[in-house]
Amino acid sequence: MKIKAKLKGDVTEVKVQAQHEMLPYDAAKKKGIPANFITYMTATVNSKIVFEMSSSQFLSKNPIIKFSFKGAKAGDNISMTWIDLLGNTVTSDAEIR
Amino acid sequence: MQRRKFLSLGAIAAAAMVPASLVAEDFRATKPDVWTSHTVDDSIKKLYGSNTFIAEGIKLTAPDVASNGGAIPVDVSSDIPAKSVAIFQDANPESAVAVFTVREGGIVDYSLKIKMRTSGTITVVLEGRDGKLYSATKTLDVALGGCEG
Repeated sequence: MKIKAKLKGDVTEVKVQAQHEMLPYDAAKKKGIPANFITYMTATVNSKIVFEMSSSQFLSKNPIIKFSFKGAKAGDNISMTWIDLLGNTVTSDAEIR
Repeated sequence: MQRRKFLSLGAIAAAAMVPASLVAEDFRATKPDVWTSHTVDDSIKKLYGSNTFIAEGIKLTAPDVASNGGAIPVDVSSDIPAKSVAIFQDANPESAVAVFTVREGGIVDYSLKIKMRTSGTITVVLEGRDGKLYSATKTLDVALGGCEG
C-alpha cells in the first residue's frame, strides 16, 4: 500500500493506493478463478480509528482513496490495513508530514 | 498466582468495556444483505431501514461523461455532522459500492474511483448525527463499460 499523509492546518489529508485486482464476480467467472476484492479497510492513528470503509467489487482496480481527518500532528504514525474476500490482509504504515 | 490471575481478568473486562463509538464496524459482516441487493432503493433500505431523504447538503462530483468505466472518479464532501456515508450506483449487477463510517469529529471528504458497466446514476446517502438521511445523485454517461475486469 502506498500512503501519503499530509498535515494542512489541523486537517490531515491522506491519499492511499492499495495494490489489488478488485476482481468482480462476472469477470472472475469468465477467467475461472474466484472473485476477490477488498472488503474492509481501516486507518488508525494513535490507536484511534480515523477512517473505516466497507467496500464492494465496484471499486476500481488498484483503488486510490482520499480522505481527511482531524486530531493528528506531524510525525504521528498512520497505520492502514485492508482485508479482502479471500481473507488476505495487508498492513502498511506511514508518517504524517 | 492468584493475584496475577485476578489482574488479568480485570484487564480482559476493561478491554470489553471500550465505548461503542470506538469499536470498528464492518458493514459487510453486520449488514450482508446490503451487498447482494440489486437495486439502489433496496440496498439503502437494508442499510438504513428507510428511503426518505433530504436532498441537500452533500456535494457529489463525478464527470458527466466517463471515458473509462473501470475508474470513474467520485468525490463526496459535506459539512453535515455524519455517522456514515454510503455510495451506490445502478449500472452494475449489485448496487452497493462502499460504506464509510465517520467518527466523532470526522470530516466527510472522500475521493475514490469506482467501476460502472454502463451509463447510470450514482447515489450517495449520508446518515447524519441528527438521525436524518441526506442524499445526492449524479447521472453520467459511461463510454466504455468497466466491469469486465
